[in-house]
Amino acid sequence: MIKVIAACVIGAALAGGATFVATSLATDSTATAEPVNETLYNYGDR
Amino acid sequence: MASAHGDGAGGGAAGRWTARLLPWAVGLFAGVLALGPALGPGYVLRYDMVFVPDLSLGTVLRGADGFPRAIPSDAVVAVLSSVLPGDVVQSLALLAVFAVGGAGAARLVPRAWYRRGPAGGPHTGAVGGQLASAAAGLAYVWNPFVAERLLLGQWAVLLGYAGLPWVVGAAARLAAARPVAGFAGLVRALVPAAVGGFSSVVLTALTAGPVALGADGAREVRTGAGEAVRGGRWWVRAGLFALALAAVSLPWLLPSLSSGADTDPAGAEAFAARSDTPFGVVGSLLLLGGVWNSGAVPAGYGEPVAASVRLVLCLVALSGWVWWLCRNRPGFGTGLSAAALMGFALALLGATGPGRELLAWLIALWPGFGPLRDGQLYVAPLALVQALGLGAFVRWLTGGRAPRGAGTGVLWRVGVAVFAVLLPVVVLPGLLWGAGERLVPVRYPGEWRAAQAAVAADDRPGAVLVLPWNAYRGPDWSGRPVVVLDPATKLFDRRTLWNDDLVVGTPGGGSVVVAGEDARADRVARVLEPDPRTGMPERLDAGALGALGVRHVVVSAPVDNQFWSESEGLAVVVEGPDMVLLRVPEQHVRPDKAVIPGLEVTGGLVTVGAIIWSMARSGSSLVFQRFGPSAGPGARKEIPK
Repeated sequence: MIKVIAACVIGAALAGGATFVATSLATDSTATAEPVNETLYNYGDR
Repeated sequence: MASAHGDGAGGGAAGRWTARLLPWAVGLFAGVLALGPALGPGYVLRYDMVFVPDLSLGTVLRGADGFPRAIPSDAVVAVLSSVLPGDVVQSLALLAVFAVGGAGAARLVPRAWYRRGPAGGPHTGAVGGQLASAAAGLAYVWNPFVAERLLLGQWAVLLGYAGLPWVVGAAARLAAARPVAGFAGLVRALVPAAVGGFSSVVLTALTAGPVALGADGAREVRTGAGEAVRGGRWWVRAGLFALALAAVSLPWLLPSLSSGADTDPAGAEAFAARSDTPFGVVGSLLLLGGVWNSGAVPAGYGEPVAASVRLVLCLVALSGWVWWLCRNRPGFGTGLSAAALMGFALALLGATGPGRELLAWLIALWPGFGPLRDGQLYVAPLALVQALGLGAFVRWLTGGRAPRGAGTGVLWRVGVAVFAVLLPVVVLPGLLWGAGERLVPVRYPGEWRAAQAAVAADDRPGAVLVLPWNAYRGPDWSGRPVVVLDPATKLFDRRTLWNDDLVVGTPGGGSVVVAGEDARADRVARVLEPDPRTGMPERLDAGALGALGVRHVVVSAPVDNQFWSESEGLAVVVEGPDMVLLRVPEQHVRPDKAVIPGLEVTGGLVTVGAIIWSMARSGSSLVFQRFGPSAGPGARKEIPK
């Protein structure tokens, strides 16, 4: 049982590390801008 | 020693509790991880997601002309807001999307495995089965569809989406249950869709309809008295399914049929699916993205590397689904596959020129085709297929055919399986923590609450006119502007008149205007003739406003032209940077009779009655509804009532 739990922890740790890297890349590569008009806002932009 | 695949009967009470609680834990874990700061005090505002303090039930029911799109979701929020603060209600609603959806998908996995019995599938208390359930649950609520709809603020649609696995399970059970019991189970499972309203019910019909029709009716179940019961024929199941859908749709269905409103066919172009990955529209929809609004795409999602990994994950999940279909033939497998294919085709329809023309023609022919304009919505059944497919893949990883024991090979598989379970989060980090803090709660400024209180304290009848004449605002109460449907449209306890036209920007810098459905608002626009650049009329005349039945005018955005200082006859009640409340003298006001439509109330009461009956009949609720038989195939006992 302990071995199974250890395997789970290792898998989760790897996923956590990969998520951290992916989050950093996503933050660096994307500048999210809200669609803004001068005075009025669209429902959205395609 | 625990085995990774766990075909044995071990586990006992602890295993059963783990199997029962794990799906909910997965959903809640995903919800907290995704929403993060959004669960804090205050109101999260974004696009269609507008929660206000002390939402009035009367306001919701009086609503506006046209189709009752906010019924019954806003009515439920209003009722809950009478006992809980509005921001708590919002947090619970958002968290419910993840908890109900994650738990539903996770619980479908053991249900399907049970079809072959313990010898052909995992014991639900075993590690392999738990990881498979967790993978399905997490993948179902952590994907581009959920992220984009959440960033679009469509929480009610997501609530209906969360209920899909439950409805699929209930629809499959129609084949092996007495008609009344099956019907009651279906109504219980439809509660999230009932709350979600129009789009949720349409989505549910698409997803679970083929399941109800195609479920395997050859199975027999034993009643408590030992009587053999064979599942109903296909037309009985179809009838029960349609009846259950109708029962939960009455609050919006009856007013819709009698509204006489039209839907603008221009929506077919404005809301068609679009490409948000390097793989075009088809690839984007396959990855469960492709929402029409570029402002609703999670951060980093469209980057080639992330999208490619996501594509691999989708293909793996689809492979897992096919493997599962061939190996276990779950009762809902054929129907759900058909639903996913039909949904994908519907989503693609608006992405082609002829498809858009066909959609526009259909919408012009009958407004009931209006929901088809938002094509990406219909990849939801595919999301369930991919989630269950990933669960099957994880099940395969943990050793569906492996020898017993916890050798190095099995441990490797468990480690890789845990990684695969969390892979949806790895490839979509843009949903983490309030979607990268794009979902953050804010407090309404003091002048907004003062305006709300001033209107509530006024005992003279008359509507509230909302200016500028544009539906969406960009309040920067959180420090940066967030586009949202003007909260002033829901803030006051009386009928509001606002511009319900939808303006959608196009890549070339132009825009498509989808005409609104509120005939009274259309009359107001003709009288006021607001400047299309500013949304403000040149002047406000108390007599003209009063003739329109307007008692209050709200200016819910910062405007340069403070024309009201020169308007005669209008009293300034509240004045702040982005909220001004003006009052029209009562001698001018000729209010329309403010009535709550009887059809909505009657429909709502019938729906609530049906839901209460369905729960009372089994003594259970959605939360405690069990999917799977307790002792293998053909042995589930139906309690005769």
